[in-house]
Amino acid sequence: MFGKRIDFAGALGFIAFMAALPLIFGGNYLIGVLTVSVIYGIWAVSWDFMSGLTGRENFGHSLFIGVGAYTAGFLNTTFGFSGWWSLPAAMVMAMVFALVIGVPTLRLKGPYFALAMLSGAVIMQRLMLIFWEQTGGEEGINGIEPLIRSQLGFYYFALAALVLVTALLLALARSHWGLILRAVRGDEATCQAAGINVTFYKIASLMISAAFAGAGGAIYAHYQLQVSPQLFAIVTSITIITMVYVGGMASIYGPVGGAILLVLLTELLRNFGEWRLMIYSCTLILILFFLPNGLIAPTWRRMKSMLAGRE
Amino acid sequence: MLEILIHGAVSSAIYAMLAVGFTLIFGVARILNLAHGSFYALGAYGAYFFTAQLKLPLLPAALLAIALVALFGVVVERVLVRPMRRSQLAVLMITLAVALVVEQVLFLTFGSEYRNVPAFVETKFTIGGVDVGGQRLLALGVSVTLIALLWIFIQRTRLGSAILAVSQDPEAANYMGIPSDRIFSIVMGLSAALAAAAGVLAGPFLTVQPTMWLLPIVKAFAIVIVGGLGSIPGSILAALMLGYAETIVGYLISTSWTEIVSVLATLLMLVFRPAGIFGKRAAF
Repeated sequence: MFGKRIDFAGALGFIAFMAALPLIFGGNYLIGVLTVSVIYGIWAVSWDFMSGLTGRENFGHSLFIGVGAYTAGFLNTTFGFSGWWSLPAAMVMAMVFALVIGVPTLRLKGPYFALAMLSGAVIMQRLMLIFWEQTGGEEGINGIEPLIRSQLGFYYFALAALVLVTALLLALARSHWGLILRAVRGDEATCQAAGINVTFYKIASLMISAAFAGAGGAIYAHYQLQVSPQLFAIVTSITIITMVYVGGMASIYGPVGGAILLVLLTELLRNFGEWRLMIYSCTLILILFFLPNGLIAPTWRRMKSMLAGRE
Repeated sequence: MLEILIHGAVSSAIYAMLAVGFTLIFGVARILNLAHGSFYALGAYGAYFFTAQLKLPLLPAALLAIALVALFGVVVERVLVRPMRRSQLAVLMITLAVALVVEQVLFLTFGSEYRNVPAFVETKFTIGGVDVGGQRLLALGVSVTLIALLWIFIQRTRLGSAILAVSQDPEAANYMGIPSDRIFSIVMGLSAALAAAAGVLAGPFLTVQPTMWLLPIVKAFAIVIVGGLGSIPGSILAALMLGYAETIVGYLISTSWTEIVSVLATLLMLVFRPAGIFGKRAAF
């Protein structure tokens, strides 16, 4: 009882803090950094929903992000769709890709899914370069219209999207559905023996995860006003995975904190530009060894039990 | 026609060297090593560094590069992979992280521009009216020899039977007094050395840059799926199929479409026969 109330208060406090930050400090630079961190938050949460809960690690989340961003960019620049239409279109497109990769790989045991996602992202990036006449090649698509013209307005929109996605996925993860996904992580054979259609749940949750990654990609495209093949890069996926690990796998809310923390920290490390990826990879190795449960979710749980104990 | 035959054989040989090592360490230790492509990249960069910067002659430079990469493979297995072996996911994560660290180290020390690895053989040969670079023929010959030696080593020696035993059942092998941890290290070293040899041999006619690890790992993965995870004959056959399929597509349609071949092969194989051509273990 207390636990729930504290969770709710914590969430409200976090939203209020994020909403107040640009008002207190102001400046377009900070707003920009915060917007990017919030978009990464959407990506990290969507990754965690599928991979964190079922334990099927997705090494190519950038595939869905890139597909969403390119769909939005393409519809906007070529057909003049407004952002409000390209956003759902991007989600649908990402779900189609999830289906195509998920059906052959997720019915199998073993590492096929992880490797297929990795290959899928690599090949999509290559294809964007090879078919440069259609995709714009290295330059990507330029001249995408902004979703919302005011910077502050855009930030609040992205923040609202993050809150919505997180709330939705948290509710799903705590429902019957989430229970099944966690059970799949624990012992797939037992789930099957209990009459659960494991494959269906795995593919469906990959599609949900892909839909929100694609939505995040579309928001990103309408924020940066251009998309480039770099979005498909392994770097994007590994950044997201590191954020989830820092936040705490399978907690859904943890990765949000991980994403915001890491984006803000890397802004502080901007002078080390070239070293950024190196720092991410080493952080990941260190976390895997010393903090396998992550940083943010366990800290929150400890704080919560302290608060609940005092009351 | 002859052109397709020769070039297909060369790329098949390079693929086979990569895929055999990749499948070997999986078959024996159940380690899916995403850093396998990095061994290949490090081999090529090692040959470049020792010849261009330290001015060593090519042959010792190449051997030194291969030996150092093998050592690096053993260290990675010992220090990073072994504590994580319980969870396949953690192994995947840690090897991917290693691959990225290697890419970054190469980028920070050598920059992103292409590097030239010197060729062993500079002359061009003409076979039946087709010009083929000598280095390509050498790569073909050496990789066939290396794979044959590996095969003989596994089938005919004591250490080879120990490797086979561990791959069949590590626990039972342990009871028979085979130190399976040491076998894992040896196999990791072998697999890294093969990948590095592929890098040294293919370096002169392929692009050598920090991100060069990525496509080989994707290709090795496709080959290993088609051939069956853990099966060496399967991956050799699949390497031949992929090498020739890519060459034929490159000649008949366009080189742009070659990248699609491996993806298509992987997807079709996973749909229709997930265990691969020679895979014994059921994937379901």
